[in-house]
Amino acid sequence: MFIQNLVGGIQNVAAELGQAAIFLALFSTLWAIVSLWIGLRGRNPNFIKSGRNAVIATFLLISVATGALIFGFVTDDFSMMYVVEVSSPTQPLPYKITALWGKMSGSLLFWLWLVTVFGAIVVWQNRKATDNLSDYALISIAVVQLFFVVLVTGWIEGIYNPLARFPNGEVRVGKGMNALLQTPSMAFHPPTLYIGWISLTIPFAFAVAALLSGRIGSDWIHRSRRWMLFSWIVLTIGITLGGNWAYRELGWGGYWAWDPVENASFMPWLLGTAYLHSVMIQEKRNMLKLWNILLITLAFQFTILGTFITRSGIISSVHAFVESDIGWYFVGFIFFSTTGVIALMAYRWQRLKSANRLESLLSRESAFVLNNWLFVGLTLIILWGTLWPIISEAIQGEKAAVPEAFFNKVVIIPGLILLFLTGAGPIISWKKITPNNFQRMFISPLFAGMVGGAVAWLFLNFRAHAKAAVEISVEAAEVATPNSLTRVWDFITFSGQPMPIFSILCVFASVFVLVAIFSEFYRGAKLRAKRQTTSFLNGLGLLIQRNKRRYGGYIVHIGIVILYIGIMGSKGYSLLEEGTLKLGESMDVGDYQFTMKDSFLEEHDNFIRSGVEFEVRRNGGKPNTMRPARHYYHTTGQGEKDTIESAIRHNGVDDIYIALGPLPTKLANGGNMQIPTKIDKETEVSLQIYHNPLISVVWIGVAVMVIGGLVAIAERSTSTPQSQTV
Amino acid sequence: MTIVVMGKFQTLIHHLSGKRVIKRMRIVWEEEHMKQRRLKVFAASLILLSGFVILVLAMTKKESMRELTPVKLIANAETMDNQNVQLVGAISEESTQWNGDEFKLTFAVRELEDTETEHKGIKTVNVIYHKLKPDNFIDGGNVFVEGKYDAQQNLIVANKVTTKCASKYEEAESVKTTDGSS
Repeated sequence: MFIQNLVGGIQNVAAELGQAAIFLALFSTLWAIVSLWIGLRGRNPNFIKSGRNAVIATFLLISVATGALIFGFVTDDFSMMYVVEVSSPTQPLPYKITALWGKMSGSLLFWLWLVTVFGAIVVWQNRKATDNLSDYALISIAVVQLFFVVLVTGWIEGIYNPLARFPNGEVRVGKGMNALLQTPSMAFHPPTLYIGWISLTIPFAFAVAALLSGRIGSDWIHRSRRWMLFSWIVLTIGITLGGNWAYRELGWGGYWAWDPVENASFMPWLLGTAYLHSVMIQEKRNMLKLWNILLITLAFQFTILGTFITRSGIISSVHAFVESDIGWYFVGFIFFSTTGVIALMAYRWQRLKSANRLESLLSRESAFVLNNWLFVGLTLIILWGTLWPIISEAIQGEKAAVPEAFFNKVVIIPGLILLFLTGAGPIISWKKITPNNFQRMFISPLFAGMVGGAVAWLFLNFRAHAKAAVEISVEAAEVATPNSLTRVWDFITFSGQPMPIFSILCVFASVFVLVAIFSEFYRGAKLRAKRQTTSFLNGLGLLIQRNKRRYGGYIVHIGIVILYIGIMGSKGYSLLEEGTLKLGESMDVGDYQFTMKDSFLEEHDNFIRSGVEFEVRRNGGKPNTMRPARHYYHTTGQGEKDTIESAIRHNGVDDIYIALGPLPTKLANGGNMQIPTKIDKETEVSLQIYHNPLISVVWIGVAVMVIGGLVAIAERSTSTPQSQTV
Repeated sequence: MTIVVMGKFQTLIHHLSGKRVIKRMRIVWEEEHMKQRRLKVFAASLILLSGFVILVLAMTKKESMRELTPVKLIANAETMDNQNVQLVGAISEESTQWNGDEFKLTFAVRELEDTETEHKGIKTVNVIYHKLKPDNFIDGGNVFVEGKYDAQQNLIVANKVTTKCASKYEEAESVKTTDGSS
């Protein structure tokens, strides 16, 4: 009893303390803005110092508030409204903590906390800086913080303070987190995306700082380069975790469906990637200054827009959180900050003009510019498709939507050009391509690409014809006996088959890029080895070590190629078979034979697992076991009773994927709960079996991209951009 | 030919007024040349860009499907017959059936905020889906159905059925408070 009282008392103190901290943070962010501004304008170091301290204070205050909420979760403080909404006494501890970003109020607090962490890091990183660029950046960071502090105070209708408690000391027991969210990748996916999105604030803040201070040179880019890369790496991981989660948990065998929320996470990534490329032009050639500021501003605004899309409920999405007015605060924020940046740009117009111009269309600068056009173009197309429900309603007066197929179709051509540029960009010379450059760098990759494309063509041709031969009946084959010339022509043109032109182009471009990039590594490493009189491998190590940024980027490009190959295989050539089986029965999918051997029923902490055991053989070979199942949860926050738990078997880079349909259940707990019963010999089990070729290649590609990003981020920003050799 | 003439012209001027003039004229020529090229590049990009915009617009027109609720779909049955449509609504209570032999999921979709009229059967649209029931597929739950509408049978043969993802939050039913702030 005493301990209970003590815990209750601490809970009270913690919640009150947390709320007080949020209100104090309101003042500390305001003070940071005012004090930094006065200090910078009046060149008063005391005010600047005070402003920096205020940024640290905000971090500490919001940490206290976040800590208080986590304390509430851990100690099951069900007097707090938010805890009741997303947690339950039986929820496993890790999921109690991840409940922090389970719903809106909490995720806003989490978002705010991250901005304050990043703000504090910026203060610490620049503690010895001799200029005030980072102090200007802190002003923007504090403005963003202020916006989020206001959101979590609970003053705005529609969202309550995450630390708020029920009036009159009421206590309710929480229903718990949605069953679907209780998986490790779901625990990591949202925070990773958040970190990626929110860290974009820092390069944006530095861009604004450049405008505010008038130092439009490359300083702000150098200072925020590693932040941008960090953000890019984390976003890459976050987006992939989401796809991977969908693939493993949702039972539809895919990982990307162009859902508005997926698009919302993808668009800042595209813009960020464009920015990472275009800043190199500014550093090398002192061009595109205006464009870079515009790009990073857009990238940042798109993270806010993403929040608007997910939170406003204005677009029907599988992710849509709530149909509330909160989205409009985000629109207001976008409007306010964009107008501010544009006004500052107008103010600094003279300094934003480029010192140089493009000299030739066939140059690395142009390749970069084309790359940027494509990235921004892709972003706009995706935005168009995502906002089509709103646009169509405005233009035609009726709400309409575009399906997944729209995105797949419009994205493919720019996507393939971008893939080609991944190889062409790094090998084309600056200023203007010369015949010598073309001959030395382009001939062999192009030739290899063509050979690769031809091989792909032959392979896909044989595949298509082999499949057609099975499908066409003997009778039909006897009717037409074409001469050999027609037969060759039919073979070449995929007669009667859809021509997989995009696959062939994808293989062509991929081989081109790989040969181009690898020869860059080879040439560089050989030169290093010769210069330092060491082995080739040492030379390669030295090469990467001396120029991590450049070669890290090339590793990312290799990852991109791998990713494209994976997407081509898994999106273009996946196979789906449906069937209904009883125990002991078998079915075939492609080269695989599936026999349903046995069933099982397992009790877990908060769910029962019911499923079947398959014996899988490839072409009658060695048997393997797969155990697809469904989970039946005891505590179901939002009402769903069971989830598909697919069984996935990796076979090289291909996947076999089994999802189970409804299984027999009985009512229990006074008719409130569905409990699974054991599957017997009479039970018919419906199932979907997917064969997903090359899907593991997708994950491998992303992993290589992340490794490349990590290599690039290891380079310190202080190095002069001209230090590139080879 | 022009180059030869220009060359001669240059030599003439060279003799007349020294190197400075030539230099100036060369700059003028180069700028003229650059301007023309820039104009060409601009025109080419504009053509490419408009081509692409037209492509995207055409694709939008082709793929776009109206987003309707059951009541609106039934009201527009004639115009929507045999058209692709995105139906938005809730899964009508006790309408879901699974037929394992035919691998067929059948259910009805009702208006989101309507539980009274649905039992009369006039305000719901029937759906057939030849795939497994997705997760979160529960009576009264939000659902999106994509497919072709058959007005005569008031039926959509769906090629995609999506339920709202688990991250649908802030349901009013769970917690309500009079005072938002504390």
